[in-house]
Amino acid sequence: MSDDRRGLGRRTFLKAAAVASAAAGCSPKAATQKLIPYLIPPDEGVPGTPLFYRTVCRECPAGCGVTARTREGRAVKLEGNPEDPIGRGALCARGQASLQALYHPDRFKGPMRRGPGGKLAPITWDEAEDSLGQALVAARAKGPGHVRLLSRSEPGSAGALQKAFLRSLGAREEDRVVLEPFDPAPLRAAGEVLFGRAELPVLDLAAARTVVAFGADFLETWISPVEYARQFASGRGRVGEERTRLTWVGPRLSLTGASADGWLRARAGGELAVALGLLRWLTDPKNAVPDLAPEARALFARVEPLQAADLAARAGVTWAEVERLARELARRRPSALLGPGPASQGTRATQLAGVVLLVNLVLGNLGRTVLYGLDPREDVPSSFQEVEGLLAAMSAGKVDVLLVAHADPAGALPAALGPEAALGKVPLVVSFASRPDATTDRAHLVLPDHHTLETFGDAVPRRGVVNTAQPVMTPLADTRSASQVLLEVAGKLPIEAAHFQWSDFYDYVQARAEPYAAAALGTVPDLALAQRDAQQRGGWWFDAARERVTPSLTLAAAGAFLSLPPAPVSGGAQLDLAVFPTALRGDGRGADLPWLREIPDALSSVSWSPWLEVSPATAARLGVRSGDLLAVSTTAGRVELPAYVYPGIRDDAVGLPLGGPEALSLLPNAKDGSGAFAFASATATVARAGKRVRLPLLEGSPYQHGRAITQTVSATAPAARRPDLSHVMYAEPKHPEHRWAMAIDLDRCTGCQACVVACFAENNVPVMGAEAAVQGRYMGWLRIERYLGDEPGGALDVQLLPMLCQQCTNAPCEPVCPVYATYHTAEGLNAQVYNRCVGTRYCSNNCPYKVRTFNWRDAKFPQPLQMQLNPDVTVRSRGVMEKCTFCVQRIRYGENQARDERRPVADGEITPACVQSCPAQAMVFGDANDPSSRVSRLAREPRGFRALEEVNAQPAITYLARVKEPEQP
Amino acid sequence: MTTPSFRSLEETVRATHGPPGPAYFVALGIAGAAAAFGGWSYSLIVREGLHWTGLERPGMWGNLITDFVFWVGIAHSGTLISAVLFLFRARFRTAIYRVAEMMTVFAVLTAGLYPILHLGRPWFAYWLFPYPNQRELWVNFRSPLVWDVFAISTYLTVSTIFLFVGVAPDAAALRDRAQGWRKRLYTLLAFGWRGTDEQWRHYTRAYLFFAAFATPLVISVHSVVSWDFAVSVLPGWHSTLFPPYFVAGAILSGVAMVITILVPLRRAFHLEEIITQHHFDMLSRLVLLTSAIVTYSYVTEILLAFQGPPHDPERSTFVYRMTGAYAPVFWLMVTCNCVGPTLLYFKAVRGRAWALLTICVLVNVGMWLERFNIVVTSLAHDRLPFDWRVYVPSWVEWAMTFGAFGWFFFLLLIGLKLIPPVSIAEMKEDLAHHADAAGAGMDHDA
Repeated sequence: MSDDRRGLGRRTFLKAAAVASAAAGCSPKAATQKLIPYLIPPDEGVPGTPLFYRTVCRECPAGCGVTARTREGRAVKLEGNPEDPIGRGALCARGQASLQALYHPDRFKGPMRRGPGGKLAPITWDEAEDSLGQALVAARAKGPGHVRLLSRSEPGSAGALQKAFLRSLGAREEDRVVLEPFDPAPLRAAGEVLFGRAELPVLDLAAARTVVAFGADFLETWISPVEYARQFASGRGRVGEERTRLTWVGPRLSLTGASADGWLRARAGGELAVALGLLRWLTDPKNAVPDLAPEARALFARVEPLQAADLAARAGVTWAEVERLARELARRRPSALLGPGPASQGTRATQLAGVVLLVNLVLGNLGRTVLYGLDPREDVPSSFQEVEGLLAAMSAGKVDVLLVAHADPAGALPAALGPEAALGKVPLVVSFASRPDATTDRAHLVLPDHHTLETFGDAVPRRGVVNTAQPVMTPLADTRSASQVLLEVAGKLPIEAAHFQWSDFYDYVQARAEPYAAAALGTVPDLALAQRDAQQRGGWWFDAARERVTPSLTLAAAGAFLSLPPAPVSGGAQLDLAVFPTALRGDGRGADLPWLREIPDALSSVSWSPWLEVSPATAARLGVRSGDLLAVSTTAGRVELPAYVYPGIRDDAVGLPLGGPEALSLLPNAKDGSGAFAFASATATVARAGKRVRLPLLEGSPYQHGRAITQTVSATAPAARRPDLSHVMYAEPKHPEHRWAMAIDLDRCTGCQACVVACFAENNVPVMGAEAAVQGRYMGWLRIERYLGDEPGGALDVQLLPMLCQQCTNAPCEPVCPVYATYHTAEGLNAQVYNRCVGTRYCSNNCPYKVRTFNWRDAKFPQPLQMQLNPDVTVRSRGVMEKCTFCVQRIRYGENQARDERRPVADGEITPACVQSCPAQAMVFGDANDPSSRVSRLAREPRGFRALEEVNAQPAITYLARVKEPEQP
Repeated sequence: MTTPSFRSLEETVRATHGPPGPAYFVALGIAGAAAAFGGWSYSLIVREGLHWTGLERPGMWGNLITDFVFWVGIAHSGTLISAVLFLFRARFRTAIYRVAEMMTVFAVLTAGLYPILHLGRPWFAYWLFPYPNQRELWVNFRSPLVWDVFAISTYLTVSTIFLFVGVAPDAAALRDRAQGWRKRLYTLLAFGWRGTDEQWRHYTRAYLFFAAFATPLVISVHSVVSWDFAVSVLPGWHSTLFPPYFVAGAILSGVAMVITILVPLRRAFHLEEIITQHHFDMLSRLVLLTSAIVTYSYVTEILLAFQGPPHDPERSTFVYRMTGAYAPVFWLMVTCNCVGPTLLYFKAVRGRAWALLTICVLVNVGMWLERFNIVVTSLAHDRLPFDWRVYVPSWVEWAMTFGAFGWFFFLLLIGLKLIPPVSIAEMKEDLAHHADAAGAGMDHDA
């Protein structure tokens, strides 16, 4: 060709283009970008459409059902399973946050063995199982007791398999120790003594008209908090006699106590004297309490010698207060008395549990609100005595192989028990933990278990409820189900008994499901099919009412519980150390989950840090303010903790949250009669440490300063005060189709923070860390505002106010935005367009509710936490404002579903994440344009008021005032 | 007072453009370094976000917005002196208005930066301008921040034009005797001025027109700035008093800044013959008057707030200002803005340059604190007590605040060497009027 001068010819161009595109296709970046992580997608998976799987929560023994929402093969959110009788669609803060355990950046990537250098080094599963097998064979040869297993409570197939595995090795029953730090063992022990039933009663608080909690935080962590919150709330939100009343007894007002109508400020350990006082007053024939159980007369003979004055002195309250509570119990039936919880579990916990049960019995609550016979006793936790026995055996060198399954003896047991030293004496510690904890730091073999969301399984929280687990996504790393590992190891052992008929854990689960299927369905033609169906729904549920029994009292045994407790010894410089569990920290197994650390405690508003609660008087005596470091010393140890001044604690006590190493290092080794650990037994000396820290506090002022931000109503004044807003200057925005609105019942809200975690998960709200919390840069779209009273130094009056965007009709944020980044939608939402926002922050300044958060810096989602991000919601960049949208993506999803099915949106069909998660069903969402919707009806209630209504922003959220009945004498 | 001749006047003014001494370079260096350090500090914000500030909810605005309002305020008295006093035929303005005008332009150049610097995404600041675009996005004309954009850009345009119009005859005079780049610069600034009758006729008309045009801006610009706060629903911001209050405060701070600049300038450039005690006396009276207005506004605001019921958030905000975490700011502000200027009642104080300078510097401190007090304390103590928080500016914000002063004085120092700091033409006119009035013969040959 003679066209050299033309430069690029057609052929040359095509060649160059081909080479360039091939090179682009080969670039490593292009090769690793995966939008949808499937090679072969499942048939039912449609990109952009969520898939839901039913499974079970294993964060505490309550065993709530879970619905896991997955998108493109990743679990993105956990919600309750609406069919599950325990949670009924709700899930607590810790349950929802367990999703972050799945994506935790520290999760082990595969099996590891501690090498000669003391470092854990990766090995293959075959090597791991072989070495475990060899060690087991060697240890077995030495006789029983040399192989021990420490597990969390596994009321289901996993626990059954563990037992079978140990049995096949010739181990004894007691070689398997079950560690549940918060297990209410005294209640079982008292049940055994009184009724011959070592069971946990199942409660029906919905039937109770008065609830008295003796340190039992049943709205936070106690036994089954989601279920109890729902039952309790069903009796709230009404004015008058039919409303359930709650009295909290204890030295510190807990979050459960914040929902109470009365607080009996018993001193630490004084709960027992209060309970005895109630028993004495109620059984006293002089008081002529009607309809008492026949045992009342005999019981009175036993409690008659107890003097009211002695009891009151030991309780640290006046007798009149006890009498008033007794009168209420006499009048309002049935009732439920609950206790003890960790906060009241002292050295006489079993006695307290016994007296509480006796009062329940006397009042006729047994069989009505306190039900026996429903505890499946599938995997009863061991007492601390047994745990101690194990530690002693370990220390004595009698344990050759210790298998640790989801228990963390080094991190969850009081330091006074010396778990770390004991672990050091075991030649082979095998941990099945998924991520590092204090025990894996000392383990020789780490065999990381699947997360619950990656495996099959089941949990039997009570008779008639079997919640099933199934994998909702492909395992993220080279982990293996601990049960599967046991099956495989067993199969390799040269022991005939260990060669189970199942090679796969799923087969084992299915085999065990047969009786459940029979109970639930009657006849089961095809177990595999029935099992699949049950897994689709999330469990086997059948009526177990016929299992219920009304226990009969052994009067002679009751006598042991009816003695006068000893006079308290504290006083002087010694303060009672009131440890307490919180809804976010729990027993500490989720202590490293970002959401649970980032979200402030509902009562103290502290995040990212432990704190020591001191009363204002104690603070004044010590000369400290919130944030000053205090040195706390007990017989077990000394810890420096930042003070938090809290008027809800007695002057002779200091409060310290459980769920962290601080409390564990301060608690001395004390047990109650049943062998349960006595949390509430320590006294401490507290002194200024002379230093100050910047405590990450959310609260500015905990007082309402006379502004009446929250309201209360009573039977005499059942309507909330509303300002006159009849003068209208401008036409208001029109909402032709829908006007989304919410109602929040403050009489039901318990401050459990489930809604806050739900919001974090649903809306990709970033976790910013401790430093940001100190600076007031918490990003939560929804916060629990907690007020302690009207004025500093005034009466304690705890009020909770969930504060989220009010989606105002006259939104002050809207007109001030110069670029229309925030604007009013036709459905009444104050939309925020992130990619239009330039970050003037005027909208936040003009927002009376301060519910907008600003991205001060780019949020970080350390890998693989970014897999949890909800693909329906933008991840915001730095420099833009963000806020609650009423979960607009869920609204659109619901609207689109309805449109596809050619029907109007049904009331209650659309729920924002917070509303969906609320155990107490305190939040209701719906269309205010529909006068018959639930939210519209609630908005018309006389209890309804709006936050800062006088600003006339016309919020879409109606708060229903808390009911506050004046106490009757 | 000796009356300068036309020639000595021109020589004196021309002398200000002589080769700068070491003191000038030291001053320029300090100002430039402060501006540069402020700029570098700001680059942290651009790179990593506003977490470098001390801002937090509820206090989303802090030092940077305080700086903005402060510098807009400074800008005001320039126009007041050059335009309003021109219309009122207040003769004492002639000697000082050029400095005041330069101060205005540079202060607006400073002020205009800060709303942009404080943005979360400053690279999108141009979205605040209504410009046609294919996304069909428009600005929200209901937002006071958009009004600000117009107010500031209008003010910058008008004050710059006004400055350059006034400079044209002087530039022509300098052009005729300058060499090199200065000749080219003054040729440009003279706009072909040749001093013909026709040009003078057009010039005086135009000057009158611009003066009349600029006068309403003195009122409007700072009123608009005050609406940033007044149209909000925040207690402590939401007040109809704000526009006049802000304008008075702006003039107070502006005049104080003029005095702050003139006292050392007069000394450094040997302008004692031109800028006389009479000028300082008149400016001091202006300070005194506006200080009284500002004091009255403070009192009114507080009294009105105390009309509310005991737990009214507005009342609470004012109590908080006086007794809360920011009480030192409030009382220092009162001392500087209300107490300090009362000393100017005494002629002896007005007559002492150092006393005047001290009072005026303190007024500027006080006026900065006033804006801080308004912006920050109201936000820190809003309606929901649970969210109250005390904002403390970070070092980055302080660096940017001092950087603003560096930037302003850097521009001013350069401007003084390029633009005659006193209007030669108008001074000559005044001299002529003076001479005519005195009936004495004058040397008209200049």
